[in-house]
Amino acid sequence: MNFGKQLKEGLLTQNPVLVQLLGMCSTLAITTTISNGIGMGVSVTIILTLSNIFISLLRKVIPEQVRIAAYIVVIAGFVTMVDLLLQAFFPEIAESLGVFIPLIVVNCIILARAESFASKNKPLAAAVDGICQGIGYTLILLVMSAIRELLGAGTLGGTRVFPEEFSATLIAMPVGGFLTLGLLIALMQWAQSKGGK
Amino acid sequence: MSKKKKDQAPEAGGTAVSTQPKAMNVSSLDSKYITRLTVTLLAICAVTALLLGVVNQITAPIITQMQEEKTRAAMAQVLAADSYEPLSTEAPGVTALYRAVSGGKDAGYVAEVATNGFGGEIDLVVGIDASGAVTGVAVTKQSETQNIGSKVVSDQAVLDRFIGMGSGDGPITVNSGSNRFDGVSGATVSSKGVTAGVNAALDAVKSYQ
Repeated sequence: MNFGKQLKEGLLTQNPVLVQLLGMCSTLAITTTISNGIGMGVSVTIILTLSNIFISLLRKVIPEQVRIAAYIVVIAGFVTMVDLLLQAFFPEIAESLGVFIPLIVVNCIILARAESFASKNKPLAAAVDGICQGIGYTLILLVMSAIRELLGAGTLGGTRVFPEEFSATLIAMPVGGFLTLGLLIALMQWAQSKGGK
Repeated sequence: MSKKKKDQAPEAGGTAVSTQPKAMNVSSLDSKYITRLTVTLLAICAVTALLLGVVNQITAPIITQMQEEKTRAAMAQVLAADSYEPLSTEAPGVTALYRAVSGGKDAGYVAEVATNGFGGEIDLVVGIDASGAVTGVAVTKQSETQNIGSKVVSDQAVLDRFIGMGSGDGPITVNSGSNRFDGVSGATVSSKGVTAGVNAALDAVKSYQ
């Protein structure tokens, strides 16, 4: 197990959003403000790490034919727990993330990591993978939400940078999400192809 | 399915430390194996359900208490009074109706209303004085689009435009008519949703006046 290598994969070479193109729905939907981005990123990281650990622990118990169903139950269980805990102890985050917390159940990053990594590796490696992939996801959410909040609302982390009249509401709307994400993916491809030569 | 599967393709991000052979003979789907499938899945579900029950036990009272506090704060904001007596109502969209009592006298009514906005349900608390005029509107739950619908439901200055309006000239309408509420441009659906909620509250109170 190599923490540095896994971190590099999570952040860059195998970034879940920009390279594996997983979890796009939540990425597009919630990156309107930085606080949303951080809240979603941290929630996914926690759930991803927990579900990776447990699926790795159970990897020899779960029969192959029912593995997807078993993964979904484990993931849905953790998501519901995090949802309830957020509602009870962090009501502001729970309110602004709204429907997207329950939707983490079907966030394909988590199922993809369960299937392609946690079910084949030891719990510790799976935990590191969850953390690294989670950080990679959070980082992209942070970058996207910073761009969209700045251009779309004229604020950064809730602090006004320029007057609202000059903001491009388009960027805060779904179409702006697609544009920002597309440009970031293109940038990533460009950087990778350049680095490869 | 052949027993000799091709080696797993290098999957995204998998550093493949110990790729277990996953090939399992499907023809071994005998009753014993099926039982194992069922029991394993059942056990996982049971343990998950048990844990969820425990978490729910801990968080449910906190969540309920917080929601009640929020509603109470909203009620005090729209129409301050010493106590609120629940009234029965069957008006559509109105989830609860209270008579506000201050110093032993009727101070008006407070209605909890559920209406529809652009992003789903909007829960409002509407205060109405004894003469049937709105004393305040507060939003307790909403999922409107950030920077669009939120300009209606999260801006108290906009919600305060309802203050003083009544249903004397018929229902309140958005950007038109004599009983006019000035909505927010670009957020017509949210403006109309909130207005419909206020109208529902006014209708519910009418039967008690």
